Amino acid sequence: MGNEYILGIFTLAGINLMTVLGLSLLTGFTGLFSFGHAGFMAIGGYATALMTLNFHWPFIPSLMVGGLAAALVSAVLGKVTLKLKGDYFCIATLGFGEAVRLILDNVQTFGGARGWPGIPHYTNFWNVLGINIVAIIILANLIHSRHGRNMIAVREEELASQIVGINVFKYKMISLVISAAYAGIAGGMMGHYMTFLQPKMFSLVKSTELTIIVIFGGLGSISGSVLGALVLTSLPEILRAFSSWRLVFYGLAVIFIMISRPEGLMGGYELTPSSMKRLYRNIVSKRSKAVHSAGGDK
Amino acid sequence: MGILELHGLTKTFGGLTAVGDVNFNVEKDSISGLIGPNGAGKTTIFNLITGVYKVTSGKIIFDGKDITNKEPYLIAESGITRTFQNIRLFKKLTVYENVLTACHYNANYSIFDSVLRLPKFRKQEKKLTEQAAELIEIMGLESRKDLIANNLPYGLQRRLEIARALALMPKLLLLDEPAAGMNPDETEQLMKLISEIRKRFNLTILIIEHHMDLIMGICENIMVLNFGCKLAEGTPTDVQNDKSVIEAYLGVE
Amino acid sequence: MTQFFQQLINGISIGSVYALMAVGYSLVYSIMNFSNFAHGGVIMFGAYFGFFFLTLLRFPFPLAFLSAAICSAILALIIERVAYKPLRERKAPFLYFIISAMGASIFLENLVIAIPAIGPTFRTYPEIFNKQPIKIGELAMGKLDIAMFLISAICLIVLIYIIDHTKIGKAIQATSYNIKASALMGVNTDFILVTIFLMGGFLAGIAGVLFGMKYTVYPQIGIITNKSFIAAVFGGLGSLPGAVIGSVLLGIIETFTAGYFSSQYRDLIAFVLLITVLVVRPMGLMGKVTEDKA
Ligand SMILES: Nc1ncnc2c1ncn2[C@@H]1O[C@H](COP(=O)(O)OP(=O)(O)OP(=O)(O)O)[C@@H](O)[C@H]1O
Ligand SMILES: [Mg+2]
Repeated sequence: MGNEYILGIFTLAGINLMTVLGLSLLTGFTGLFSFGHAGFMAIGGYATALMTLNFHWPFIPSLMVGGLAAALVSAVLGKVTLKLKGDYFCIATLGFGEAVRLILDNVQTFGGARGWPGIPHYTNFWNVLGINIVAIIILANLIHSRHGRNMIAVREEELASQIVGINVFKYKMISLVISAAYAGIAGGMMGHYMTFLQPKMFSLVKSTELTIIVIFGGLGSISGSVLGALVLTSLPEILRAFSSWRLVFYGLAVIFIMISRPEGLMGGYELTPSSMKRLYRNIVSKRSKAVHSAGGDK
Repeated sequence: MGILELHGLTKTFGGLTAVGDVNFNVEKDSISGLIGPNGAGKTTIFNLITGVYKVTSGKIIFDGKDITNKEPYLIAESGITRTFQNIRLFKKLTVYENVLTACHYNANYSIFDSVLRLPKFRKQEKKLTEQAAELIEIMGLESRKDLIANNLPYGLQRRLEIARALALMPKLLLLDEPAAGMNPDETEQLMKLISEIRKRFNLTILIIEHHMDLIMGICENIMVLNFGCKLAEGTPTDVQNDKSVIEAYLGVE
Repeated sequence: MTQFFQQLINGISIGSVYALMAVGYSLVYSIMNFSNFAHGGVIMFGAYFGFFFLTLLRFPFPLAFLSAAICSAILALIIERVAYKPLRERKAPFLYFIISAMGASIFLENLVIAIPAIGPTFRTYPEIFNKQPIKIGELAMGKLDIAMFLISAICLIVLIYIIDHTKIGKAIQATSYNIKASALMGVNTDFILVTIFLMGGFLAGIAGVLFGMKYTVYPQIGIITNKSFIAAVFGGLGSLPGAVIGSVLLGIIETFTAGYFSSQYRDLIAFVLLITVLVVRPMGLMGKVTEDKA
């Protein structure tokens, strides 16, 4: 197990993390669930590759184009589906994701189902790390503002949000567009890491996996999403030796998480220096007062 | 001319007429009451005023403007807000966060301002936190400000809902059974609080309540509703002496 | 014109199998209000059950058919007990059910691939109905297509009869209308759920076998089962007649797309249809519109 191998796993985890961060905003903070974000990754992936290969743009601006393309498409999707209630938005995103994959399967310009080879290998551990740090800062700053609070309010209680004057549709839209942009950038990084793109990389299973990571990390926790992406990307890689049984256990693990610890690893709490201090203080005071559970549990 | 006028307001659900041709005026700066037996259509009227339900027919005029069938958040923006009969707080947020969220109206920094933490963001955010703190103090929730809303005692949850509504600086406040589940003592306190906030915030208030003491004690004008239709309207004494009201409602109590 | 009718017949035949699958989604949705994506896995297992009963155990066809259906029903029930019941008891939001269902579906699909004796290969059913089509004038109808249609139709009619005319059916209807109220009225909702999953699983098994006979059996038939889910949405999630009508329409639309445009677009059209329906009429063809109580 060389350095290369470990950096490789972290790079993959970082690419996943980028989408997961966006989904964390959408799902963890706004309360909307998507089964189509692999579709946004695909759009971003193909758009980015188009920029670097056909227009010879540098990598980072091309990634921006990828993110923008996904964002634009998400705005259209959001416009028509965000008014749908509960389950139905989920289903619409599922339909969207599958439609994107099938369209790419059938459009021969980008190689159809056989895929699109020869994409330059621009993605590496360091640019993935840099982009993720920026993405986390943006997300954290957004969440700790009136805009972020409005999204959280929408997650908690839609009707009450309306009544205090929050434009629910607008905030769902902002959340969706940002999450799609993140996914688009992640797709761009993915294509330039694997050096090829293939529609089947962006299947429903991929979308599900992403949402599962967000839930596994804990809804409403950025640090949870980071942990979730690291654990759930590296674990299957490490388990690769067990090849076909890997996904069997994965499926079981998903059910197990849902029925046993649905609040995820972090349960909505953040791992920050101040929260660590608070946790420590709670544990100390718990010792002295012997009251009920500390830190993580409310 | 009142601050709020209902003209021939009607709402049907399938075959059921929940509200039928109701006309009503709420005078500016008054406290008005809306009473009637269970299922009379009181909450439905609130839902129509605040845009939660679509009006079947009729018109709602607020502050001289037609607000019929506008989106709820736009109605809130124009100065009407409410509390809910079945409390709807942001359950998993703290008391402070509940109020702070609702204060959003008094800031206008953009997403870019917040992402880049520009001066505009810092300045306005400071103002918001001060405002939230002040409201919490006025409503006597200071000692519980970091509690999760869902863990508050019932009476305080109702109080918090009022605090959250006030954060919008509304002109008209609709209270749906604010004293439900409270003991006489708490009800008494609530009455005082309502009169107080009305003066302090220059509010017009419309209350739905089953506690007759409360309604008769603080309302200047009362509308009685039965089976979706207006049965009577007037001062507390008028209403109490109205024959049809006694028959349909007070008699039963 | 002949081609038109030929397509129509093929469409209805496929659509009727979709319908068998789709009612499973709708039954669960009508009571539990979530999309049970594990249903696709049960259908796939049904196809495998049938295949192995026929080839390994050499069961006669009707027995293999029935056994596959029963095994699938049991499988569906096991999934309910393991993956949903704990969530139900905790009153978890619908999303947890969906994710749990996805987990079950990932599990089932990969279990088949991982078990060496099954693996990812395509399996062809032994020939039960010979390929000689029945001719009516210009129209040719495969015996298998006719059997598919008849078996599906019979199953669906029995199902709808049970729902409309039996005591348990009435209880199911009451529960789907209001689960809390019917529990208060003394309906044993847990028993209703058991029934729902058994019925859905039974039909899934039949659909799986029919599907396997028509095409082949392989682990990723999820694409097909997803389409039957779309049919259920199209008809109006939670409505049984809706699921049937939506399925038949989807079957017809698909065969026409394949026949008149290109078979490449056959899968795509379903998803485009899905989004269109959600945008234009999210409650589907037969779904009911409600205004949430506030
Ligand atoms: N969303 C809805 N769908 C169908 N019927 C409704 C809906 N909302 C209210 N109703 C019906 O309208 C009627 C009036 O209900 P409403 O809640 O306005 O009564 P209320 O006067 O507030 O009664 P209470 O004192 O019990 O709160 C009732 O018969 C109720 O069942
Ligand atoms: Mg009411």
